[in-house]
Amino acid sequence: MPTDDYEAEATELLETYDFLMKYIVIGEAGSGKSCLLHHFTHNSFKDHSQHTIGVEFSSRTVKLGEKRIKLQLWDTAGQERFRSVTRSYYRGAAGALLVYDITKFVILLRIFLGGLPDARALASPHLVCVLVGNKADKDDEREVEWAEASRWAAENDVHFLEASSLTGDNVEAPFLLAARSILLSIESGALDPEKAGSGVSYGDRALRRVNSSSRLSFGSLSQNRRKGTIKLKAKGWIPGTNRCC
Amino acid sequence: MASSVISPSATSLQFDGKARAAQRNPISLRLYKVLGTNFDDDATREALQTLSELYATSSSSLKGKEPLRNVEDDDVEEEWVKPNGVVAEEFFTETMLGETAARARKNLRRDMERKLAEGSHQFLKAFGEVDQKLEELQRHVAAMHASCDEAETQLKLTNEASAMVLERAGSLSEQRQEVENKKSIVTLFLTRFTLNEEEVEAMTSRDIPVGQRFFRAMDKTERIRTDCRVLMAGEDGPTQAGLDIMASTSSHLEQGYEKAFRWCSYEFRQMGRDMQVEVGETMREAIRRLRKRPELLNEALTALSQARQATLMSSFLTALTRGGPSGLPRPIELHAHDPMRYVGDMLAWVHQAIAAEREFLESLFGLQADGRMVGSVRTFHEKSEEEDWIRELMDLAVGKLCVPLKVRVQQTIRSQESSIISYKIANLLQFYMITMRRTIGETAVLSTTLNEMTEVAYKVFYDAIETQGRALLRATLDLDDPSLAPPLAILDHAQILREIMNVYESSLLGDEGEAEQTAGFQRILDVTVDPAIEFCTSNSEEKKRMRPRWDREIYVLNCLSYLQSVLEPFPFTAQKLQTLQDVVEEKVVHLTEEHYKNIMVDAGIHLIAETCASHDESEPMSRIPATLPAQLQTALRNFSLWLSGLEVVQSPRLSQLTAQRLHIKIHQAALERMARSYQLICEQVKKPENKQSSKNLSPLIPLRRRYTEGTTSSQGRSGSLYSNFKPHRPLPQIEKRWPTFLGIGVVVLTGWAAFLTYVTNETKVTSSVVKQILRTIKADSQLLETLGLAIRPQPEWWLNGYPIIHGQINQLQGNIDVSFRIKGSLGSGTVYFTSVRKAKGIPYEILRFRVIHDDGRVVEVQTAPDLHSE
Repeated sequence: MPTDDYEAEATELLETYDFLMKYIVIGEAGSGKSCLLHHFTHNSFKDHSQHTIGVEFSSRTVKLGEKRIKLQLWDTAGQERFRSVTRSYYRGAAGALLVYDITKFVILLRIFLGGLPDARALASPHLVCVLVGNKADKDDEREVEWAEASRWAAENDVHFLEASSLTGDNVEAPFLLAARSILLSIESGALDPEKAGSGVSYGDRALRRVNSSSRLSFGSLSQNRRKGTIKLKAKGWIPGTNRCC
Repeated sequence: MASSVISPSATSLQFDGKARAAQRNPISLRLYKVLGTNFDDDATREALQTLSELYATSSSSLKGKEPLRNVEDDDVEEEWVKPNGVVAEEFFTETMLGETAARARKNLRRDMERKLAEGSHQFLKAFGEVDQKLEELQRHVAAMHASCDEAETQLKLTNEASAMVLERAGSLSEQRQEVENKKSIVTLFLTRFTLNEEEVEAMTSRDIPVGQRFFRAMDKTERIRTDCRVLMAGEDGPTQAGLDIMASTSSHLEQGYEKAFRWCSYEFRQMGRDMQVEVGETMREAIRRLRKRPELLNEALTALSQARQATLMSSFLTALTRGGPSGLPRPIELHAHDPMRYVGDMLAWVHQAIAAEREFLESLFGLQADGRMVGSVRTFHEKSEEEDWIRELMDLAVGKLCVPLKVRVQQTIRSQESSIISYKIANLLQFYMITMRRTIGETAVLSTTLNEMTEVAYKVFYDAIETQGRALLRATLDLDDPSLAPPLAILDHAQILREIMNVYESSLLGDEGEAEQTAGFQRILDVTVDPAIEFCTSNSEEKKRMRPRWDREIYVLNCLSYLQSVLEPFPFTAQKLQTLQDVVEEKVVHLTEEHYKNIMVDAGIHLIAETCASHDESEPMSRIPATLPAQLQTALRNFSLWLSGLEVVQSPRLSQLTAQRLHIKIHQAALERMARSYQLICEQVKKPENKQSSKNLSPLIPLRRRYTEGTTSSQGRSGSLYSNFKPHRPLPQIEKRWPTFLGIGVVVLTGWAAFLTYVTNETKVTSSVVKQILRTIKADSQLLETLGLAIRPQPEWWLNGYPIIHGQINQLQGNIDVSFRIKGSLGSGTVYFTSVRKAKGIPYEILRFRVIHDDGRVVEVQTAPDLHSE
């Protein structure tokens, strides 16, 4: 009888998570950060979105391979006047989503001139950046070619993909991509979730005890990574691959 | 043997009649039997033969064997029949056969009788014995009978006795059944109303961890208590069992709660060490249960809140002083020199901590997150118990942070010298205050602390700007400065004001009404603008006294209009602008009056005008010294001269006003008054009682025209006032000179623009950047294919064969963005090149380098031009 109890307890752990990561979403005003987040957390498009004031917070738990990861998402205001407020939130973020509007070349430019150096300077050195070209649905108004943005992203060592918060295409992909990168750097030992201020921490305490004694548990992650990538590709997470070359 | 041969079935039919009578007679039976005997079989015949031979030999041997043998058959028959005595006749007939036979028969008979007697004797003897045995048997039977009787009696007795036993057994078994029933009921009752060993252990023992088993035991205890209460309520009064059960369960339950409490407290203390914590299902369940024991929960939560306080505090201090792992991100205090960043970082840290804390507490109390963003307004309508708990815990956990936060923020605020930074900090604090109020409620310690800090920050800011205002008032003007422009002090002051207004504007959320916006900034405006006005008006008096030639009025108006221009772009300054406008109006009226007098003096008709105005008709004007006809004529001639001068269009004095609008307004008002005075003069002169000759008026006529024209050219709308003046003769056409000026101006400007364009283009064409780009393009194989050979910039005919380069090259700022047309042997296209240098000392980064052909093809140039060679 007692063994059944403990099994029952084990199934209840589904509610819990293995890692907690802090993300910050940055980008110029009107590039659709809040909409992207809204789609990610509520799975629906946010109509008539107002300008974000200061910083807003939301969270969601995602599953990556065997791991459950809780994401704390800080959505920042894009307007210049909030810059002094939002700059303070880079601290202790593990991942940053640099969102730009593919119909506006200027915004991309500003990200590379302002947002990215800011993020690198203010956040932890292991900050994982993902460049997200939002509004991929407005292909006919496109100003930024996929290949161009991709090249820049590669040169600046950030991940890149395009998404649409209107249609929901690829909305989850940037978050997962960043999470995967972070997990990899934890695996490689570059990032230590035990330390404060890294933006990542372990969820379940029992898990930590297991983890600290051996790294075997990551085997499952590496195994699932390939699977995940295939899945993403199937979803077309690099729209434009067929177009650019 | 014989009896077996003769069976009832063998009875012959011949003797049927007799057989009925002698059926029971043994003799007749015997007879029938003999008669029925069949002699035909060989065995019998042989036996008879043997008999006859035996007897024959023994008696005599007289007779031959053969006759004897023949007769022997009959003999045997006779012999057999004889003893029966029935067939006597036959015997007689046989006697004749011989004596031997007779003898034989006799012998046989004798033997037979003897044998019979012997047999009877033996029989008798045997029967005697049998009789004896029978008697003995009878005795035995009698004895047995007696015994049997006795046994029967005994049996009967026993039977009676056992009936009672049976009855007893029956009742016993019934009782047993009853007892069994009771037992099962009691067992059921006990299982339902008492805890078994295991459950008690789960609830009370320290060895068994808090988990499903524990909770099940708790559940059961609770259920027992509920059931028991129901049970007791149904009876007349509480039963002993009920009371006992309640007593024992209550002690167990208390122990259980105690255990849960201890466990929670322990876990909470453990939890406290981590910044980010998550809550397991067990913990949530334990808390849910402990809610039934508020005092225990309270205690556990106190432990939790203490732990959380300590944790948050230490994390905060770590973030402040130590930063992240290996110092990155840097500690917050490292940026203490940048007050905005310092304060902002601290508050942002607290904000983030609150979000995490809130999530933790929500999961602790099993509340579903409402999916709301932290920035948005939290409704405190649902006054659920959990919400209360959460708010209290949150308040406690975060409240502890207030002390270090407050100390640091206040220190930062107080050490600010710049009022702009103070204002920015105050605004930042206010922003967070509003955010926190929405997140954790208005009564929370943090909210009130933020409120205090905001107040302090505002106070510091107001103090700063008030001091600044006072300093402005104390400032003196440079006496030797002839300039009428606003002095440096005002410019500085206005600059600060402008910055503050910018900050205020950016701090508006956009949903405030106009009144709200104005009210929010009114005090700052009062504090800053009023001293400035004061400064302009009062300080200048001093200077005026010392330097009488210095034009104070113009100066004041200049200052005021400068202030207006500073305030104007911001909508929330409307009210202040209005007061400022009032002051300006007042000054304008004053200046107009003065200006009027001046121009009257300048035009030389002020005396006449005064005389005309004060003329009391007592004597003709021609008699008054000031308006003697000769005087009048000279004055009017002077006036005419003045009118033909430039001063009518533009006053040299007023042109020192920076606001052209005011200049026109004042000048025009003065001219209007002048015209009215002149009208008065005309009327007076024309009056017959004044005895002025009409020829005196002759120079006046062109004056009217001039005047009208002057005002129209300056303003263009005031001619209507004088439309009732009928000219006496057509006015000479005055040549318009402005088209000439305009023509010359246009030519000069165009020439200048063309020259500038040419020169800058020339610079760009010859710049190394363009050369490098061209070199790269020429070397590009892809372009060689599409554009052909001899790629060169496309010459423009209007630039004398030079190409034109659009865009800008600013290498000092690290900014290059050019485009120009190129031409090859096969086609032409446009080159776009954009490159920036993000910081000094690092290489240029090419953002765009492509050639778009005229047919729309786009070629990205891969090789980068070497921009660092120069």
